[in-house]
Amino acid sequence: MLNRKKAPPIQEIGALRLPEIPVHRLDNGIELYEIQMGTQEVAKLELAFMAGRPFERKPLAARATAGQIKEGSRHYTAHQIAEQMDFYGCSLSFPFQMDTSNAILYSLSKHFDKALPLLADMLAEPAFPEDELQAFIRRNQRRLEVDLSKNDVVAYRQITELMFGPQHAYGYNSYPETYAALKREDLAEHFGRLYNSSNCIAFISGKASPAMLDMINESLSRAIRPGQPATATLPPAPEKPEAVKITRPDTVQAAIRIGRRLFNRHHPDYAGMYVLNTILGGYFGSRLMANIREEKGYTYNIYSMLDAMHYDGCMYIGTEAGNEFVNDTLQQIYHEMRLLQEERIDEEELSMVRNYLMGNFLTMLDGPFNVSEVVRTQAMEELPMSYFESLTEKVRTITAEELQSLAQRYLNREDMWEVVVGV
Amino acid sequence: MIQFERFELDNGLRVLVHEDYSTPMAAVNVLYNVGARDESPEKTGFAHLFEHLMFGGSANIPDFDTPIQMAGGENNAFTNNDITNFYDTLPVENLETAFWLESDRMLALNFDEKVLDVQRKVVVEEFKETCLNQPYGDVWHYISDMAYKVHPYRWPTIGKAPKHVEDATMEDVKSFFYHYYRPNNAILVVAGPVKTEEVKRLAEKWFGDIPRGENVIRKLPQEPPQKRLEKRIREANVPVDALYLAFHMPARTDPDYYVVDLISDILCNGNSSRLYHRLLKEQQLFTSIDCYISGSIDPGLFIIEGKPSEGVSLEQASEAIWKELELLKSEPVPDMELQKVKNKAESTLIFSELSPLNKAINLAYFELLGDVELINREAELYLQVSAEDIQRLAREILIEDNCSELFYKAQKGEVKVIQQPSAS
Repeated sequence: MLNRKKAPPIQEIGALRLPEIPVHRLDNGIELYEIQMGTQEVAKLELAFMAGRPFERKPLAARATAGQIKEGSRHYTAHQIAEQMDFYGCSLSFPFQMDTSNAILYSLSKHFDKALPLLADMLAEPAFPEDELQAFIRRNQRRLEVDLSKNDVVAYRQITELMFGPQHAYGYNSYPETYAALKREDLAEHFGRLYNSSNCIAFISGKASPAMLDMINESLSRAIRPGQPATATLPPAPEKPEAVKITRPDTVQAAIRIGRRLFNRHHPDYAGMYVLNTILGGYFGSRLMANIREEKGYTYNIYSMLDAMHYDGCMYIGTEAGNEFVNDTLQQIYHEMRLLQEERIDEEELSMVRNYLMGNFLTMLDGPFNVSEVVRTQAMEELPMSYFESLTEKVRTITAEELQSLAQRYLNREDMWEVVVGV
Repeated sequence: MIQFERFELDNGLRVLVHEDYSTPMAAVNVLYNVGARDESPEKTGFAHLFEHLMFGGSANIPDFDTPIQMAGGENNAFTNNDITNFYDTLPVENLETAFWLESDRMLALNFDEKVLDVQRKVVVEEFKETCLNQPYGDVWHYISDMAYKVHPYRWPTIGKAPKHVEDATMEDVKSFFYHYYRPNNAILVVAGPVKTEEVKRLAEKWFGDIPRGENVIRKLPQEPPQKRLEKRIREANVPVDALYLAFHMPARTDPDYYVVDLISDILCNGNSSRLYHRLLKEQQLFTSIDCYISGSIDPGLFIIEGKPSEGVSLEQASEAIWKELELLKSEPVPDMELQKVKNKAESTLIFSELSPLNKAINLAYFELLGDVELINREAELYLQVSAEDIQRLAREILIEDNCSELFYKAQKGEVKVIQQPSAS
């Protein structure tokens, strides 16, 4: 008779390593990481430039530049670019990132040669047409209006502005006027100064033939010009935490954000905080989920997030809770932080978190595009490729004592900024 | 091309296996053939609430998530109008943990009042977060109510109102479970580096002794042709106007489904698509525009939605869309353009085969549709679509008599914003 009360034995995941990733140097000096993996005939090329907010000379220049590159180049109009990319089933995007500006091209391997020359032309000489910029500004102002009607967006904007300061690259917010102030010259300046070969790393993943690698060298070496590495100066961030309440009486839920500044991935406590954050609110079985959703039913979702940027970092807890539950939700969040300071996590919970995270790490190594993400983060953050392995080692070996002392150092209520938007 | 093996247990559970040795992870997917369309009109939102209860502990296991996390896995689920689908991914060494957990919650839940009580609240908060507290969040409530008069697609998966969820009782839970959550009403798929023989052994071991339920016979009223334009205007506290056009379209297994899917691509997939390029970029009538199909099993909806630019009225915006629709009817799509959307469809299919979990979910879904082989014929079906098909379907469905038109009017009422420091 089958004993359904007894769990099948579980195998723990052993040490994990990133596979060896060959690095090539293009003729113009750009490093190209080659993540040759997978079973499907598909490829992803990602170019990451250190050209995000910390390097701006005008607010939103990074976002606008990234958003406008595909609006035309020396040889192609925006529409020709779009037609060609769509015709070959390729996708090209320039997603907004805090520190970097990236070009991401997904393509069937067989069509890669049709898409790459277009991307190269855009990076060689983007046109930044004035009318496209004006249309971009109007669209974004309109979208901003919609975003600002959402409590969670307002709460996120508020807490990041409080933590880093309104003039800081990681803290400032966009307003209709910020968009309106953008000029074509700002984009050209941002592009010219930062989209250069000393400021760029390339990543090819999936199935890439030797011919494709040659083609990348050929076209990107010519397209991306030499220049200087980016430098940033950031104003000091505020020291004293604040609590802010923004009242919107016509909403049925309030958005809550509680957080503090932390550090980037180079900090010795980063790996430990990675684990502690997971325990607090980083997965379904976390303390916050167990208490505030699964025990009390105050919210559909609550999480805590470790956000590491290039020069700094923060952690914040976020949730949307029914108006009537807001006060107790706040109390419970602080209660869970205090518990982590006062009591050591027991062995069972700790091994659950370990195993869960190790499963996550295994997923990060599953497939070329996942591996490419890991490699890109490490390369752009100037971390050694062994970083992945040391992070997983820390997860496997961290002790309850270490976690408690991290909680005592970093989860103090008096260090937390608090934002409530709603009731 | 997705290879698979298929077998059935004596209790009626259908099992499919996709062997994929390129990954260290296994995906386990359990699809139950029940969705919001099976609910009673007085108890809507129940199928989705029930999905939440499936995580609250089963006959022999107090809670679902802990053991999955202990095994290095992740799990989740979704409910829509047609199905309730549960999935787990975990290192293949621990595959049996997923069999243990999934089989126990198919055997029986713990039917704990406390779990029901908490999840009712959680789902009401979800209702608020996704519908009531979001600008345009209730749009699906309006559209489904306008487009369907008799078919149960007339309410959204989340339910008509939070009240329905709040009123759910343990009696409802039990009868729903023993009616729908039986092996003969479910499909199990395993994808990953695993041999079919091993899956057979595990399936027999863990699912073999779960008793079969009565056969579920679905008798849903089919929606009659609409035959007149359905118009509604909703004034709401949203920042900008928005418009929605919804057209009835063929069922998922109808060959014309693929034609309509390509029409939606011609109109709005990619920056070179017609509505995006002409109406948003060239004429700048919209700040956002999109077009998609609901993809439901019974005849679903083809939807166009957009937000007009400042100074553009909803009427002007709607007229511009209709002009594009007329063009589709009057002129055949040029060869290059048709080729373009077919290439895109091919590319989308190939990229969708990258993830074992995706493949597992899709295999279960096509098995449910009645012909799992269809999963490998889809590329072919897209290729077969002709310019005449596009024109024929455009003339058939993109007409006023088949359309529900919803205007969302921004009422720039007072949104009081008071900012104050609060005592922490």
